[in-house]
Amino acid sequence: MQTFGYLVSMFPIIDELYSTKEEKARSMNTYSAFFNTEPQLGSVIVGITAGLEEARANGSDDIDDETINGLRAGLMGPIAGIGDSLVVGTVIPILLGIAMGMSTGGSPLGAIMYIVVWNLFAYFGMKFLFFKGYELGGKAIDFLVGPTGEALRESITTLGGIVIGAVAASWVSVKTAFTMTAAGADKPFLDLQSTIDSVYPGLLTALFIVGCWWLMAKKKMSPIKVMLLLVVVAFVGVFIGFFNPGLQY
Amino acid sequence: MTVSWLQAAILGLFACLSSMPGLGGTSFGNYTLGRPLVGGLVCGLVLGDLQSGILVGVAMQIVYIALVTPGGTVSADVRAVSYIGIPLAMIALKSYGLSPESADGQALATSFGSMVGTVGTVLFYGTATMNLLWQHIGWKAVENGNYKQLYAVDMIYPWISHIIFSFLPTMIMVKMGAPMVDMIKTYLPMDGLAMKTLFTVGSLLPCVGIAILLKQIVTKAIDFIPFFFGFTLAASMGINLVASTVVAAMFAMLIYRLKMLSFKQSAAAEVDVIIDDDEEDI
Repeated sequence: MQTFGYLVSMFPIIDELYSTKEEKARSMNTYSAFFNTEPQLGSVIVGITAGLEEARANGSDDIDDETINGLRAGLMGPIAGIGDSLVVGTVIPILLGIAMGMSTGGSPLGAIMYIVVWNLFAYFGMKFLFFKGYELGGKAIDFLVGPTGEALRESITTLGGIVIGAVAASWVSVKTAFTMTAAGADKPFLDLQSTIDSVYPGLLTALFIVGCWWLMAKKKMSPIKVMLLLVVVAFVGVFIGFFNPGLQY
Repeated sequence: MTVSWLQAAILGLFACLSSMPGLGGTSFGNYTLGRPLVGGLVCGLVLGDLQSGILVGVAMQIVYIALVTPGGTVSADVRAVSYIGIPLAMIALKSYGLSPESADGQALATSFGSMVGTVGTVLFYGTATMNLLWQHIGWKAVENGNYKQLYAVDMIYPWISHIIFSFLPTMIMVKMGAPMVDMIKTYLPMDGLAMKTLFTVGSLLPCVGIAILLKQIVTKAIDFIPFFFGFTLAASMGINLVASTVVAAMFAMLIYRLKMLSFKQSAAAEVDVIIDDDEEDI
Protein backbone atom coordinates (compact mmCIF):
# COMPACT_ATOMS: atom_id res chain seq x y z
CA MET A 1 0.00 0.00 0.00
CA GLN A 2 2.45 2.64 1.13
CA THR A 3 5.45 0.42 0.52
CA PHE A 4 6.58 2.27 -2.60
CA GLY A 5 6.16 5.64 -0.98
CA TYR A 6 8.35 4.36 1.81
CA LEU A 7 10.99 3.08 -0.61
CA VAL A 8 11.08 6.42 -2.40
CA SER A 9 11.47 8.23 0.94
CA MET A 10 14.33 5.99 2.02
CA PHE A 11 16.19 5.84 -1.30
CA PRO A 12 17.99 9.22 -1.06
CA ILE A 13 19.08 8.38 2.49
CA ILE A 14 20.31 4.91 1.57
CA ASP A 15 21.97 6.23 -1.59
CA GLU A 16 23.91 8.70 0.57
CA LEU A 17 24.85 6.28 3.33
CA TYR A 18 26.20 3.36 1.32
CA SER A 19 28.60 3.19 -1.57
CA THR A 20 28.39 -0.38 -2.88
CA LYS A 21 25.48 -1.72 -4.86
CA GLU A 22 25.14 -4.79 -2.59
CA GLU A 23 24.75 -2.71 0.55
CA LYS A 24 22.19 -0.48 -1.12
CA ALA A 25 20.25 -3.50 -2.33
CA ARG A 26 20.29 -5.05 1.14
CA SER A 27 18.98 -1.90 2.76
CA MET A 28 16.35 -1.22 0.13
CA ASN A 29 15.08 -4.77 0.51
CA THR A 30 14.60 -4.12 4.22
CA TYR A 31 12.00 -1.50 3.38
CA SER A 32 10.16 -3.55 0.78
CA ALA A 33 8.08 -5.21 3.51
CA PHE A 34 4.37 -4.32 3.59
CA PHE A 35 3.69 -0.94 5.12
CA ASN A 36 0.50 1.01 5.70
CA THR A 37 -0.33 3.62 8.31
CA GLU A 38 -1.82 7.07 8.78
CA PRO A 39 0.46 9.04 6.45
CA GLN A 40 0.69 12.28 8.42
CA LEU A 41 1.56 10.89 11.82
CA GLY A 42 3.43 8.06 10.12
CA SER A 43 6.27 10.42 9.21
CA VAL A 44 7.62 9.72 12.70
CA ILE A 45 8.23 6.10 11.68
CA VAL A 46 10.17 7.16 8.58
CA GLY A 47 12.24 9.41 10.85
CA ILE A 48 12.99 6.58 13.24
CA THR A 49 14.08 4.20 10.49
CA ALA A 50 16.22 6.95 8.94
CA GLY A 51 18.02 7.19 12.28
CA LEU A 52 18.37 3.41 12.56
CA GLU A 53 19.66 3.11 9.01
CA GLU A 54 22.29 5.71 9.75
CA ALA A 55 23.35 3.81 12.86
CA ARG A 56 23.54 0.60 10.82
CA ALA A 57 25.68 2.31 8.19
CA ASN A 58 27.99 3.51 10.95
CA GLY A 59 28.57 -0.06 12.02
CA SER A 60 26.08 -0.88 14.78
CA ASP A 61 25.87 -4.66 14.61
CA ASP A 62 22.73 -4.98 16.67
CA ILE A 63 20.57 -3.31 14.04
CA ASP A 64 19.47 -5.76 11.39
CA ASP A 65 16.49 -6.22 9.09
CA GLU A 66 14.49 -7.78 11.87
CA THR A 67 15.01 -4.87 14.26
CA ILE A 68 13.90 -2.37 11.65
CA ASN A 69 10.96 -4.34 10.28
CA GLY A 70 9.83 -5.44 13.74
CA LEU A 71 9.72 -1.80 14.71
CA ARG A 72 7.91 -0.77 11.54
CA ALA A 73 5.35 -3.54 11.82
CA GLY A 74 4.87 -2.85 15.51
CA LEU A 75 4.38 0.87 15.05
CA MET A 76 2.24 1.14 11.95
CA GLY A 77 -0.86 -0.24 13.71
CA PRO A 78 -0.88 2.03 16.78
CA ILE A 79 0.21 5.08 14.77
CA ALA A 80 -2.58 4.46 12.27
CA GLY A 81 -5.06 4.19 15.14
CA ILE A 82 -3.91 7.37 16.86
CA GLY A 83 -3.55 9.22 13.55
CA ASP A 84 -6.98 8.29 12.24
CA SER A 85 -8.74 9.30 15.43
CA LEU A 86 -6.59 12.33 16.26
CA VAL A 87 -5.63 13.91 12.93
CA VAL A 88 -8.39 12.80 10.59
CA GLY A 89 -11.08 12.27 13.19
CA THR A 90 -10.48 15.33 15.38
CA VAL A 91 -8.09 18.00 14.11
CA ILE A 92 -9.46 18.13 10.56
CA PRO A 93 -13.14 18.17 11.63
CA ILE A 94 -12.42 20.96 14.15
CA LEU A 95 -10.71 23.03 11.46
CA LEU A 96 -13.48 22.27 8.98
CA GLY A 97 -16.13 23.12 11.57
CA ILE A 98 -14.60 26.54 12.16
CA ALA A 99 -14.05 27.03 8.43
CA MET A 100 -17.70 26.21 7.67
CA GLY A 101 -18.74 28.75 10.28
CA MET A 102 -16.63 31.36 8.49
CA SER A 103 -18.09 30.41 5.12
CA THR A 104 -21.72 30.95 6.13
CA GLY A 105 -23.48 32.83 3.38
CA GLY A 106 -21.03 31.68 0.75
CA SER A 107 -17.90 33.57 1.76
CA PRO A 108 -14.68 31.96 0.50
CA LEU A 109 -12.88 33.04 3.69
CA GLY A 110 -13.48 29.77 5.55
CA ALA A 111 -12.23 27.59 2.71
CA ILE A 112 -9.09 29.72 2.33
CA MET A 113 -8.50 29.66 6.08
CA TYR A 114 -8.74 25.86 6.05
CA ILE A 115 -6.27 25.53 3.15
CA VAL A 116 -3.70 27.77 4.86
CA VAL A 117 -4.03 26.55 8.45
CA TRP A 118 -4.27 22.85 7.66
CA ASN A 119 -1.31 22.84 5.29
CA LEU A 120 0.92 24.78 7.66
CA PHE A 121 -0.10 22.40 10.43
CA ALA A 122 0.52 19.33 8.27
CA TYR A 123 3.84 20.59 6.86
CA PHE A 124 5.39 21.68 10.11
CA GLY A 125 3.80 18.86 12.08
CA MET A 126 5.18 16.20 9.74
CA LYS A 127 8.59 17.83 9.60
CA PHE A 128 8.67 18.00 13.41
CA LEU A 129 7.62 14.35 13.76
CA PHE A 130 10.16 13.16 11.19
CA PHE A 131 13.06 14.89 12.93
CA LYS A 132 11.83 13.88 16.39
CA GLY A 133 11.79 10.31 15.15
CA TYR A 134 15.26 10.68 13.68
CA GLU A 135 16.76 12.24 16.82
CA LEU A 136 15.05 10.24 19.49
CA GLY A 137 14.51 6.90 17.77
CA GLY A 138 12.15 4.70 19.74
CA LYS A 139 11.86 7.35 22.45
CA ALA A 140 9.84 9.53 20.08
CA ILE A 141 7.04 7.04 20.38
CA ASP A 142 6.97 7.46 24.16
CA PHE A 143 5.90 11.01 23.58
CA LEU A 144 2.94 9.79 21.55
CA VAL A 145 1.88 6.83 23.64
CA GLY A 146 3.32 7.78 27.04
CA PRO A 147 1.65 9.83 29.80
CA THR A 148 2.04 13.23 28.10
CA GLY A 149 0.66 11.80 24.89
CA GLU A 150 -2.24 10.19 26.69
CA ALA A 151 -3.15 13.38 28.52
CA LEU A 152 -2.87 15.34 25.28
CA ARG A 153 -4.99 12.82 23.42
CA GLU A 154 -7.67 12.82 26.04
CA SER A 155 -7.91 16.59 26.13
CA ILE A 156 -7.98 16.87 22.33
CA THR A 157 -10.66 14.17 22.16
CA THR A 158 -12.81 16.13 24.59
CA LEU A 159 -12.23 19.31 22.61
CA GLY A 160 -13.22 17.38 19.49
CA GLY A 161 -16.35 16.01 21.14
CA ILE A 162 -17.56 19.46 22.17
CA VAL A 163 -16.81 21.03 18.78
CA ILE A 164 -18.51 18.16 16.94
CA GLY A 165 -21.56 18.68 19.12
CA ALA A 166 -21.59 22.35 18.19
CA VAL A 167 -21.08 21.50 14.50
CA ALA A 168 -23.99 19.05 14.64
CA ALA A 169 -26.29 21.58 16.27
CA SER A 170 -25.31 24.35 13.84
CA TRP A 171 -25.30 22.45 10.58
CA VAL A 172 -27.53 19.41 10.86
CA SER A 173 -31.23 19.88 11.07
CA VAL A 174 -33.75 17.06 11.11
CA LYS A 175 -37.26 18.43 11.33
CA THR A 176 -40.63 16.75 11.36
CA ALA A 177 -43.67 18.23 9.66
CA PHE A 178 -46.09 16.17 11.75
CA THR A 179 -49.04 18.15 13.06
CA MET A 180 -52.50 17.32 14.33
CA THR A 181 -55.34 19.68 13.72
CA ALA A 182 -58.73 19.37 15.35
CA ALA A 183 -61.68 19.43 12.96
CA GLY A 184 -62.60 23.01 12.15
CA ALA A 185 -59.65 24.64 13.93
CA ASP A 186 -57.24 26.94 12.00
CA LYS A 187 -54.20 26.08 14.05
CA PRO A 188 -52.93 22.60 14.85
CA PHE A 189 -53.20 21.61 18.50
CA LEU A 190 -50.10 19.48 18.19
CA ASP A 191 -47.03 20.74 16.36
CA LEU A 192 -44.61 17.90 16.99
CA GLN A 193 -41.49 19.84 16.00
CA SER A 194 -42.04 22.68 18.49
CA THR A 195 -43.09 20.19 21.18
CA ILE A 196 -39.83 18.29 20.71
CA ASP A 197 -37.81 21.51 20.69
CA SER A 198 -39.39 22.64 23.94
CA VAL A 199 -38.09 19.47 25.59
CA TYR A 200 -34.55 19.95 24.29
CA PRO A 201 -33.72 22.11 21.29
CA GLY A 202 -32.61 19.96 18.41
CA LEU A 203 -33.60 16.71 20.12
CA LEU A 204 -34.76 15.05 16.91
CA THR A 205 -31.44 15.83 15.21
CA ALA A 206 -29.53 14.48 18.21
CA LEU A 207 -31.65 11.30 18.25
CA PHE A 208 -30.95 10.62 14.60
CA ILE A 209 -27.22 11.12 15.13
CA VAL A 210 -27.12 8.84 18.16
CA GLY A 211 -29.19 6.32 16.20
CA CYS A 212 -26.68 6.32 13.33
CA TRP A 213 -23.83 6.01 15.83
CA TRP A 214 -25.55 3.04 17.47
CA LEU A 215 -26.06 1.28 14.15
CA MET A 216 -22.44 1.73 13.15
CA ALA A 217 -20.67 1.32 16.48
CA LYS A 218 -22.85 -1.28 18.17
CA LYS A 219 -24.49 -3.06 15.23
CA LYS A 220 -21.33 -2.84 13.08
CA MET A 221 -23.23 -1.57 10.07
CA SER A 222 -21.19 0.05 7.30
CA PRO A 223 -21.81 3.77 6.59
CA ILE A 224 -23.24 2.90 3.17
CA LYS A 225 -25.81 0.54 4.71
CA VAL A 226 -26.79 3.22 7.22
CA MET A 227 -27.20 5.71 4.37
CA LEU A 228 -29.41 3.26 2.48
CA LEU A 229 -31.45 2.68 5.62
CA LEU A 230 -31.94 6.45 5.89
CA VAL A 231 -33.30 6.48 2.34
CA VAL A 232 -35.92 3.94 3.44
CA VAL A 233 -36.66 5.94 6.60
CA ALA A 234 -37.03 9.10 4.52
CA PHE A 235 -39.36 7.39 2.05
CA VAL A 236 -41.61 5.95 4.77
CA GLY A 237 -41.46 9.23 6.68
CA VAL A 238 -42.54 11.26 3.66
CA PHE A 239 -45.24 8.71 2.88
CA ILE A 240 -46.88 8.92 6.31
CA GLY A 241 -46.37 12.67 6.53
CA PHE A 242 -43.71 12.68 9.24
CA PHE A 243 -41.29 14.44 6.91
CA ASN A 244 -42.31 17.06 4.42
CA PRO A 245 -39.68 19.34 2.99
CA GLY A 246 -42.47 21.64 1.79
CA LEU A 247 -41.32 21.92 -1.79
CA GLN A 248 -42.94 24.01 -4.41
CA TYR A 249 -42.03 25.66 -7.64
CA MET B 1 -26.05 26.71 -16.57
CA THR B 2 -23.79 25.29 -19.25
CA VAL B 3 -20.35 23.91 -18.68
CA SER B 4 -17.68 24.16 -21.37
CA TRP B 5 -15.26 21.36 -22.14
CA LEU B 6 -12.44 23.47 -20.75
CA GLN B 7 -14.20 23.97 -17.41
CA ALA B 8 -14.99 20.26 -17.25
CA ALA B 9 -11.36 19.42 -18.02
CA ILE B 10 -10.05 21.69 -15.25
CA LEU B 11 -12.36 19.98 -12.77
CA GLY B 12 -11.11 16.64 -14.11
CA LEU B 13 -7.55 17.69 -13.33
CA PHE B 14 -8.49 18.62 -9.76
CA ALA B 15 -10.19 15.23 -9.42
CA CYS B 16 -6.85 13.60 -10.32
CA LEU B 17 -5.01 15.62 -7.71
CA SER B 18 -7.43 15.04 -4.89
CA SER B 19 -8.39 11.39 -4.87
CA MET B 20 -7.23 9.09 -2.15
CA PRO B 21 -4.46 7.12 -3.82
CA GLY B 22 -3.93 10.60 -5.13
CA LEU B 23 -1.49 12.69 -7.05
CA GLY B 24 -1.42 15.82 -4.94
CA GLY B 25 -0.15 13.84 -1.94
CA THR B 26 -2.12 12.92 1.15
CA SER B 27 -1.96 16.23 2.98
CA PHE B 28 -2.48 18.62 0.09
CA GLY B 29 -4.34 16.36 -2.34
CA ASN B 30 -6.69 14.29 -0.26
CA TYR B 31 -7.03 16.34 2.90
CA THR B 32 -7.03 19.78 1.26
CA LEU B 33 -8.27 19.65 -2.33
CA GLY B 34 -10.45 16.63 -1.65
CA ARG B 35 -12.46 18.26 1.12
CA PRO B 36 -15.85 19.35 -0.26
CA LEU B 37 -15.44 22.80 1.33
CA VAL B 38 -12.27 23.40 -0.71
CA GLY B 39 -13.85 21.62 -3.68
CA GLY B 40 -16.70 24.11 -3.42
CA LEU B 41 -14.21 26.97 -3.64
CA VAL B 42 -12.52 25.45 -6.70
CA CYS B 43 -15.79 24.55 -8.46
CA GLY B 44 -17.19 27.98 -7.66
CA LEU B 45 -14.15 29.68 -9.19
CA VAL B 46 -14.08 27.43 -12.27
CA LEU B 47 -17.81 27.63 -12.97
CA GLY B 48 -17.96 31.33 -12.22
CA ASP B 49 -20.35 31.27 -9.26
CA LEU B 50 -18.21 31.42 -6.15
CA GLN B 51 -21.03 31.88 -3.66
CA SER B 52 -23.07 28.88 -4.82
CA GLY B 53 -19.92 26.77 -4.97
CA ILE B 54 -19.01 27.52 -1.37
CA LEU B 55 -22.57 27.01 -0.11
CA VAL B 56 -22.90 23.66 -1.86
CA GLY B 57 -19.43 22.71 -0.61
CA VAL B 58 -20.40 23.51 2.98
CA ALA B 59 -23.60 21.45 2.68
CA MET B 60 -21.67 18.41 1.46
CA GLN B 61 -18.78 18.90 3.85
CA ILE B 62 -21.02 18.04 6.79
CA VAL B 63 -21.80 14.62 5.37
CA TYR B 64 -18.13 13.93 4.76
CA ILE B 65 -16.67 15.77 7.73
CA ALA B 66 -15.03 12.62 9.03
CA LEU B 67 -14.07 10.67 5.97
CA VAL B 68 -11.58 8.27 7.47
CA THR B 69 -10.33 5.49 5.24
CA PRO B 70 -9.07 2.83 7.62
CA GLY B 71 -6.88 0.37 5.76
CA GLY B 72 -8.00 1.65 2.38
CA THR B 73 -11.70 0.78 2.65
CA VAL B 74 -13.83 3.68 1.53
CA SER B 75 -17.47 4.56 1.98
CA ALA B 76 -17.31 7.45 -0.46
CA ASP B 77 -14.82 8.88 -2.84
CA VAL B 78 -13.73 12.48 -2.29
CA ARG B 79 -12.84 13.17 -5.91
CA ALA B 80 -16.36 12.16 -6.93
CA VAL B 81 -18.03 14.13 -4.14
CA SER B 82 -16.00 17.29 -4.65
CA TYR B 83 -15.49 17.46 -8.40
CA ILE B 84 -18.49 15.57 -9.82
CA GLY B 85 -21.08 15.97 -7.04
CA ILE B 86 -20.60 19.69 -6.38
CA PRO B 87 -20.73 20.83 -10.05
CA LEU B 88 -23.79 18.64 -10.71
CA ALA B 89 -25.51 19.96 -7.58
CA MET B 90 -24.75 23.53 -8.67
CA ILE B 91 -26.26 22.82 -12.10
CA ALA B 92 -29.29 21.19 -10.49
CA LEU B 93 -29.87 24.13 -8.15
CA LYS B 94 -29.72 26.57 -11.07
CA SER B 95 -32.06 24.41 -13.08
CA TYR B 96 -34.60 24.05 -10.27
CA GLY B 97 -34.28 27.72 -9.44
CA LEU B 98 -33.44 27.03 -5.80
CA SER B 99 -31.21 29.28 -3.75
CA PRO B 100 -28.20 27.35 -2.42
CA GLU B 101 -28.65 29.23 0.83
CA SER B 102 -32.11 27.83 1.52
CA ALA B 103 -32.64 24.63 3.48
CA ASP B 104 -34.15 22.99 0.38
CA GLY B 105 -31.13 23.94 -1.68
CA GLN B 106 -28.78 22.47 0.89
CA ALA B 107 -30.81 19.26 1.08
CA LEU B 108 -30.79 18.87 -2.70
CA ALA B 109 -27.02 19.46 -2.80
CA THR B 110 -26.44 16.90 -0.04
CA SER B 111 -28.53 14.21 -1.74
CA PHE B 112 -26.85 14.75 -5.09
CA GLY B 113 -23.39 14.75 -3.57
CA SER B 114 -23.92 11.61 -1.55
CA MET B 115 -25.34 9.69 -4.47
CA VAL B 116 -22.38 10.62 -6.62
CA GLY B 117 -19.96 9.97 -3.75
CA THR B 118 -21.26 6.49 -3.17
CA VAL B 119 -21.18 5.60 -6.84
CA GLY B 120 -17.70 7.14 -6.92
CA THR B 121 -16.24 4.36 -4.78
CA VAL B 122 -16.07 2.47 -8.09
CA LEU B 123 -13.48 5.04 -9.17
CA PHE B 124 -11.50 4.48 -5.99
CA TYR B 125 -11.27 0.74 -6.44
CA GLY B 126 -10.67 1.18 -10.17
CA THR B 127 -7.65 3.40 -9.55
CA ALA B 128 -6.32 1.18 -6.79
CA THR B 129 -6.64 -1.93 -8.96
CA MET B 130 -4.90 -0.36 -11.92
CA ASN B 131 -2.10 0.86 -9.65
CA LEU B 132 -1.27 -2.81 -8.99
CA LEU B 133 0.20 -2.82 -12.50
CA TRP B 134 2.71 -0.12 -11.55
CA GLN B 135 3.45 -1.99 -8.33
CA HIS B 136 4.40 -4.98 -10.44
CA ILE B 137 6.86 -2.84 -12.39
CA GLY B 138 8.08 -1.49 -9.04
CA TRP B 139 8.88 -4.92 -7.64
CA LYS B 140 10.83 -5.76 -10.79
CA ALA B 141 12.79 -2.55 -10.31
CA VAL B 142 13.61 -3.43 -6.68
CA GLU B 143 14.73 -6.90 -7.75
CA ASN B 144 17.02 -5.53 -10.43
CA GLY B 145 18.37 -2.82 -8.17
CA ASN B 146 17.05 -0.18 -10.53
CA TYR B 147 15.98 2.18 -7.76
CA LYS B 148 15.76 5.35 -9.83
CA GLN B 149 12.77 3.77 -11.55
CA LEU B 150 10.89 3.78 -8.26
CA TYR B 151 10.33 7.52 -8.68
CA ALA B 152 8.42 6.78 -11.88
CA VAL B 153 6.44 4.04 -10.16
CA ASP B 154 5.57 6.36 -7.30
CA MET B 155 4.98 9.60 -9.14
CA ILE B 156 4.55 9.18 -12.90
CA TYR B 157 2.79 5.91 -13.82
CA PRO B 158 -0.19 6.52 -11.48
CA TRP B 159 -1.11 9.47 -13.70
CA ILE B 160 -2.22 6.89 -16.28
CA SER B 161 -4.61 5.28 -13.78
CA HIS B 162 -5.89 8.72 -12.88
CA ILE B 163 -6.49 9.87 -16.42
CA ILE B 164 -8.69 6.81 -16.89
CA PHE B 165 -10.43 6.74 -13.51
CA SER B 166 -10.46 10.39 -12.44
CA PHE B 167 -9.99 12.76 -15.35
CA LEU B 168 -12.27 11.17 -17.95
CA PRO B 169 -15.23 10.27 -15.69
CA THR B 170 -15.21 13.72 -14.09
CA MET B 171 -14.94 15.61 -17.35
CA ILE B 172 -17.68 13.60 -19.07
CA MET B 173 -20.11 13.58 -16.15
CA VAL B 174 -19.75 17.31 -15.51
CA LYS B 175 -20.13 18.14 -19.20
CA MET B 176 -23.15 15.86 -19.61
CA GLY B 177 -24.61 16.95 -16.28
CA ALA B 178 -26.85 19.78 -17.49
CA PRO B 179 -28.98 17.75 -19.94
CA MET B 180 -29.18 14.92 -17.41
CA VAL B 181 -30.46 17.22 -14.68
CA ASP B 182 -33.05 18.60 -17.09
CA MET B 183 -34.21 15.10 -17.84
CA ILE B 184 -34.58 14.27 -14.15
CA LYS B 185 -36.55 17.46 -13.71
CA THR B 186 -39.10 16.52 -16.36
CA TYR B 187 -39.60 13.02 -15.02
CA LEU B 188 -39.61 13.78 -11.31
CA PRO B 189 -41.84 16.69 -10.35
CA MET B 190 -40.89 18.69 -7.25
CA ASP B 191 -44.02 17.90 -5.26
CA GLY B 192 -43.88 14.16 -6.01
CA LEU B 193 -42.96 11.47 -3.52
CA ALA B 194 -39.56 10.78 -5.10
CA MET B 195 -38.37 14.38 -4.85
CA LYS B 196 -39.67 14.79 -1.31
CA THR B 197 -37.82 11.64 -0.31
CA LEU B 198 -34.67 12.87 -2.00
CA PHE B 199 -34.79 16.14 -0.09
CA THR B 200 -35.53 14.41 3.21
CA VAL B 201 -32.60 12.06 2.65
CA GLY B 202 -30.48 15.15 2.12
CA SER B 203 -31.35 16.48 5.54
CA LEU B 204 -30.81 13.08 7.21
CA LEU B 205 -27.45 12.19 5.62
CA PRO B 206 -25.32 14.64 7.62
CA CYS B 207 -26.29 12.59 10.70
CA VAL B 208 -24.18 9.75 9.29
CA GLY B 209 -21.20 12.06 8.90
CA ILE B 210 -21.40 13.23 12.50
CA ALA B 211 -22.00 9.65 13.68
CA ILE B 212 -18.82 8.46 11.93
CA LEU B 213 -16.92 11.08 13.91
CA LEU B 214 -18.58 10.04 17.13
CA LYS B 215 -17.59 6.46 16.46
CA GLN B 216 -13.98 7.61 16.75
CA ILE B 217 -14.39 9.25 20.14
CA VAL B 218 -17.36 7.61 21.84
CA THR B 219 -16.85 4.12 23.20
CA LYS B 220 -19.11 4.21 26.23
CA ALA B 221 -22.26 6.18 26.98
CA ILE B 222 -20.47 8.69 29.21
CA ASP B 223 -18.32 9.83 26.29
CA PHE B 224 -21.45 11.37 24.81
CA ILE B 225 -21.39 14.12 27.44
CA PRO B 226 -18.86 16.39 25.66
CA PHE B 227 -20.86 15.97 22.46
CA PHE B 228 -24.12 16.97 24.11
CA PHE B 229 -22.34 19.79 25.92
CA GLY B 230 -21.29 21.20 22.56
CA PHE B 231 -24.72 20.51 21.09
CA THR B 232 -26.35 22.42 23.94
CA LEU B 233 -23.92 25.34 23.56
CA ALA B 234 -24.94 25.79 19.94
CA ALA B 235 -28.58 24.64 19.87
CA SER B 236 -29.90 25.96 23.19
CA MET B 237 -27.54 28.80 23.97
CA GLY B 238 -26.98 29.96 20.41
CA ILE B 239 -23.21 30.27 20.70
CA ASN B 240 -21.45 30.16 17.33
CA LEU B 241 -18.81 27.67 16.29
CA VAL B 242 -15.67 29.68 16.90
CA ALA B 243 -16.90 30.69 20.35
CA SER B 244 -17.84 27.06 21.11
CA THR B 245 -14.31 26.04 20.16
CA VAL B 246 -12.89 28.52 22.67
CA VAL B 247 -15.12 27.15 25.43
CA ALA B 248 -14.09 23.63 24.41
CA ALA B 249 -10.40 24.60 24.49
CA MET B 250 -10.79 25.76 28.09
CA PHE B 251 -12.13 22.35 29.07
CA ALA B 252 -9.42 20.61 27.09
CA MET B 253 -6.79 22.57 29.02
CA LEU B 254 -8.34 21.62 32.36
CA ILE B 255 -8.38 17.96 31.41
CA TYR B 256 -4.77 18.07 30.28
CA ARG B 257 -3.66 19.65 33.57
CA LEU B 258 -5.71 17.20 35.66
CA LYS B 259 -4.44 14.22 33.74
CA MET B 260 -0.79 15.32 34.06
CA LEU B 261 -1.31 15.91 37.77
CA SER B 262 -2.71 12.43 38.30
CA PHE B 263 0.22 10.94 36.38
CA LYS B 264 2.67 12.84 38.56
CA GLN B 265 0.91 11.66 41.71
CA SER B 266 0.84 8.04 40.64
CA ALA B 267 4.50 8.27 39.68
CA ALA B 268 5.31 9.68 43.11
CA ALA B 269 3.25 7.00 44.82
CA GLU B 270 5.11 4.32 42.98
CA VAL B 271 8.41 5.50 44.38
CA ASP B 272 7.13 5.25 47.97
CA VAL B 273 5.45 1.92 47.84
CA ILE B 274 6.47 -0.14 44.88
CA ILE B 275 3.15 -0.86 43.27
CA ASP B 276 2.93 -1.40 39.59
CA ASP B 277 1.08 -3.43 37.03
CA ASP B 278 -2.11 -1.55 37.58
CA GLU B 279 -1.19 1.08 35.06
CA GLU B 280 -3.52 1.25 32.17
CA ASP B 281 -2.37 -0.51 29.06
CA ILE B 282 -2.48 1.55 25.93
